Amino acid sequence: MIKRNFSRRELIASLTGGMGSVALAGMFADEALAAAAATTAPAAPKFPNFPPKAKSNIVLFMRGGPSQLDMFDPKPALLKYQGQRPSSVDLRTERTTGGLLPSPFEFKQYGRGGVHVSSLLPNIASVIDDICVIKSTYTFNPTHTPGCSLFHTGNIAATRPSMGSWISYGLGSVNKNLPGFVVLNPVPQGDLGLSRSGFLPAKHQGTHFDDSVVEPDKMIKYLQNKDLDREKQRRQLDLIQSLNQEHERSFGQDEFLDGRIQSMETAYAMQFEAMDVFDIRKESQATREMYGDTHFAHGCLMARRLVERGVRTVHVFYGPGQPWDDHSKIEKNLKERCPDMDKACAALIKDLKQRGLLDECLVTWGGEFGRTPVSESGDGRDHNPYGFTTWMAGGGVKGGMSYGETDEFGFKAVEKSVSVHDLHATMLNQLGIDHLKLTYRYAGRDFRLTDVYGEVVRDILA
Amino acid sequence: MLPAFFAVFAASVFAQNPSAEFFEKEIRPVLADKCYGCHSSKLKSPMGGLVLDTKAGLKLGGNGGPILAADAKSSRLLKALSYNETDLRMPPAGKLPDEKIAAFEKWIAAGAPDPREDAPAGAPVSAAKKGMDIETGRKWWAFQPVNQLPQPKVRNAVFAKQWTKEKIDWFILAKLEQNKLKPSPAADRAMLIERASLDLTGLRPTYEDVQAFVADKAPDAYEKLIDRLLASPRYGERWGRYWLDVARYGEDNPTSEATNPPYPFAWRYRDWVIDAVNKDVPYDKFVKLQLAADQIPGTPRDDYRALGYLGAAPIYHTDLRLSRDVIETLYTDGWDERVDAVGRGLMGLTVGCARCHDHKFDPILSKDYYALAGVFASTVSAPRPLAEVDKETDQKFMLAAQQLFYLSYLANLMNNEPGSKPEQAAEQVIKFTKKMEEVRDSMAFLKDSHPEMWTYLNNLAKLPQPKKPMPDPAVAKVTLTAPAAPMPRPPAAQRRGRGGASDLPFMQSVFDAGVWIDGSDPDLTAVDVRPGQPRDMNLLPHANVSAPGPVVPRQFLSVLSKGDTTFKNGSGRLDLAERIFSDGAPLTARVIVNRVWSWHFGKPLVATPSDFGVQGEKPTHPELLDDLSARFIAHGWSLKWLHREIMLSATYRQTSHPRADGVAADPTNNFLWRMNPRRLDVEAYRDSLLEVSGTLDPKAAPLSLDLDAADNHSRTVYGRVSRGRLNTVLSLYDFPDPMMSAPARTMTTSPLQQLFAMNSGFMKDRATELVKLVDSDPDNTGKVRDMYHRALDRDPSPKELDLALSYLEKGSLTEYAQALLATNEVIFWP
Repeated sequence: MIKRNFSRRELIASLTGGMGSVALAGMFADEALAAAAATTAPAAPKFPNFPPKAKSNIVLFMRGGPSQLDMFDPKPALLKYQGQRPSSVDLRTERTTGGLLPSPFEFKQYGRGGVHVSSLLPNIASVIDDICVIKSTYTFNPTHTPGCSLFHTGNIAATRPSMGSWISYGLGSVNKNLPGFVVLNPVPQGDLGLSRSGFLPAKHQGTHFDDSVVEPDKMIKYLQNKDLDREKQRRQLDLIQSLNQEHERSFGQDEFLDGRIQSMETAYAMQFEAMDVFDIRKESQATREMYGDTHFAHGCLMARRLVERGVRTVHVFYGPGQPWDDHSKIEKNLKERCPDMDKACAALIKDLKQRGLLDECLVTWGGEFGRTPVSESGDGRDHNPYGFTTWMAGGGVKGGMSYGETDEFGFKAVEKSVSVHDLHATMLNQLGIDHLKLTYRYAGRDFRLTDVYGEVVRDILA
Repeated sequence: MLPAFFAVFAASVFAQNPSAEFFEKEIRPVLADKCYGCHSSKLKSPMGGLVLDTKAGLKLGGNGGPILAADAKSSRLLKALSYNETDLRMPPAGKLPDEKIAAFEKWIAAGAPDPREDAPAGAPVSAAKKGMDIETGRKWWAFQPVNQLPQPKVRNAVFAKQWTKEKIDWFILAKLEQNKLKPSPAADRAMLIERASLDLTGLRPTYEDVQAFVADKAPDAYEKLIDRLLASPRYGERWGRYWLDVARYGEDNPTSEATNPPYPFAWRYRDWVIDAVNKDVPYDKFVKLQLAADQIPGTPRDDYRALGYLGAAPIYHTDLRLSRDVIETLYTDGWDERVDAVGRGLMGLTVGCARCHDHKFDPILSKDYYALAGVFASTVSAPRPLAEVDKETDQKFMLAAQQLFYLSYLANLMNNEPGSKPEQAAEQVIKFTKKMEEVRDSMAFLKDSHPEMWTYLNNLAKLPQPKKPMPDPAVAKVTLTAPAAPMPRPPAAQRRGRGGASDLPFMQSVFDAGVWIDGSDPDLTAVDVRPGQPRDMNLLPHANVSAPGPVVPRQFLSVLSKGDTTFKNGSGRLDLAERIFSDGAPLTARVIVNRVWSWHFGKPLVATPSDFGVQGEKPTHPELLDDLSARFIAHGWSLKWLHREIMLSATYRQTSHPRADGVAADPTNNFLWRMNPRRLDVEAYRDSLLEVSGTLDPKAAPLSLDLDAADNHSRTVYGRVSRGRLNTVLSLYDFPDPMMSAPARTMTTSPLQQLFAMNSGFMKDRATELVKLVDSDPDNTGKVRDMYHRALDRDPSPKELDLALSYLEKGSLTEYAQALLATNEVIFWP
């Protein structure tokens, strides 16, 4: 706080000079400066309420519902009873489904824990000792929109704050020049529903960037001044700030006026910082090749750059729309889609690890649900919220293990089930937040990300 | 196999009548280890209101009802333990081992003998927090009648006589005196006209207006100014927008999928609000029209547009292939949205809190919630023709539109995504298509009299495209890699596009019909809409649709009701609206007066404008709020009366400059020792920038326009409001989430806003336009002076002129203009 006050004073001195600074310094009491700083500083941290394992978190979101049965959860019974429909698979999903559909992909066990991974994901298999595969995740709705809401906000209603917003609200931002919660999705406009701050203050809303472009000034609206170079822009800003000083001198000291002066300086600095941090072209050729050259690869690489500079939460969406929604032709689709996802996810883990960041960054992979063991249209799978796979890496989570089980056909979580609320509770826990304590009073009651549910999955913690 | 074994096992042990030892050995350790953590009488609020560490608590059960039952299997406890239901699984950390579950089953079947003795007799069995009871609630401050009060006494009568201008001022002054504070001097004329113009029209005055007002020495110059501003059509555009925050106005739905597409006619509701505010429609009538225009006899057709308040409310996508419970839950979520909007928006009460259980703080019972929810379960959204048609045709049209929409959705769904029962799907395509044609043909009488209505219905009746023959499912099942028939692109995906507004002659509206969700077909849930049959909802503990409680008749909130308030008129929308302004009048008046106060002063009297309950804040000036509310009612709920009363006060006319003693004693200005200076909201900011650069299009814009379009020079209120993808500039500048009724806007200052001011094409265009306007001035001094007149309504100081001229030695006029427009003063509301 003191440092901030000094920099504020320095700012005033640098802008006004001579008589002006003397006059101004007289008008700004220390308390008032502190108040101004408080209003413009990112959320005042109230957490962590115990020492955190992770400082940041990355969510790799496979929208559409990736098939656990073809990636992580091998079920020999599917081949044995191929085409049949035992009564235990009569679970209602979105659409009418047929008989059991075996996976065409071969599974092997990897790493010290002998974790199953299919032939679709050789790169993930190679870093499996850093990954905890949760086979028994479940959620509460078999359709996309409510499913996505549940995964991101813990509720089917599209009004609740996103987990990223909750974390921003709880922990604030480390880097004041960058948003605390970033969403990377290769679409021109983000999906407000999954990054909204809801009833939390608007500043906790996720800031969306389109990672289908690599030029930062195209990615971030209004980031660059198209007409003025750095020096000319500084000169223009000096003029703006001098006029602001003149105005405040005649009006009197005001929190908002102070705050906006400071905010202008932050914005100016942000332009150059963002041009740097959002430019993945600054990475070495070797690093870029390790991730690959797809939207998702760019997103993963950008996520690493962002958490490295203090962004608290980064959500990386795989592709626009809901690419993992394989109602038909699942074999062909997964063969097309998995290689780049596999490569980028593994690269992210390796890259974080070699920089010593994996211990303090929790990576979570998953979709809004998984897919059914029974077929749809003969060669596809329907939505399955009853039991599916997510995985976590880094941030104090054990690697090289799989946790929980689904039933013999991989439809329902039956052992050590982990609900989305449990997932959220665990994520918050690794960030040093007791999910029961992270509350916000709105419309007459205290809300939580985990509502009235949630249990930290302690067995997977290192 | 397993259940049969259990049944035999349970039956065989039934006779043994397990003793206290069984409980102590098998049951108690599990309860203590796995359950007490959340379900203990020692907790402030045990989860689900369930307490398991007392005998009485175990017997009583929790919010979901009793947990024990004679038939062990059907008991809630065993259901939870057996982990068969996804929303009822205990303990949450993981299923118990089978032998433990078997022990519980055995114990329950034996009558759940519990040898424990509850220690203090009469101790509460459930520590769950209970809210205020109804009788106590009737005494709550916000529900008391409002009365005009005598002018409060002040100590310094001489000063009071000089300073006060309106009754409001006496209340403010008395409070200031009590807190040893003095009001600030009156603002100068320039500040006053700036403040009042931004306040009532959201636009800055012109330099000429300011000069004329400063020069006007007439004693009633200020009164005339206020009257002129109130008469301007710009007033409705400003104050209508405030209401749209409360009404959570939006033109689409968060996802805008097949069953919740955008609302192409929502903009007509917006325009109605602007018109009605301009006409000063009394607030009671203003609200009644929005809830029940179609039920108020003699309502002009034009006012039916008001029903967009309900007709364009946010709804969720309901994929009817989902189970009855899922669909019913989504529908109850929609009705909940309406209860919340009416509860918080109109009455300042968090009625929504009583959805799962009685309100934990306020005197609102769960049955009150469902009594209101029933009104919305008896109200269906549909487009309504703008044209004057007889009531019967009106109803028929809306019902047909609603039916055709769903039939078309279903027929196309079954056609395009037949799933794994293609024969059954094909039959349904035929069935729905036939029904669609029947409904459409029954409306053929419109062909000649109302071709636009006929065409509209025809367009709704989108028949499914003929398909290629289905592959034999038996073959498809085993030939995994065989190429399936290509999936035709579903029309749903096309409709998912964020369609724009339409100027067809229709409006978003509602009609009366009860809605039930029918799950009799296990593959396809049906929405059963019954005109003429309102639906009383069942109480739903925990909002759980699969465990309905007793039926609750539709009626007004118990705590506010005087006598029997059962709703008898159709859905009960009009009854509800009338009760809000009869039994609920004091509360309703307080709530709107507080909102209007807050929009004038930037700070409400009750700091929680949508929560006047126990959890909300108490008013800083209770007598003032009461008196003003009483007089507001006496003046026929006229908002323009209220504006005058507030704006003519000495309190409002104070300067907003900071004062050392005031800042020290009351830094947040609770007692109004000065006017609150503020940041402009996004509408006033954008509109003012358009205006000072001479580009504002003063005409009302029909439909709704993309705010990012460079050639959109209309007022911001006419910009598109999307619930799924809110415009960047709106969200940058704190526009509220249009999914929920907004109590107030929080004004933030963020670096991203400053990037907009420094770098956006919009700002650059404004600067370019401003420079064009001053082109005729001969030299830079003249040009700078002219820009100051236009942008800030004043002359530059010598220092400011100096700064300008020295900047212009190296920089361009456009760069200078943009700097000027980016300054604090432009976004500041003094």
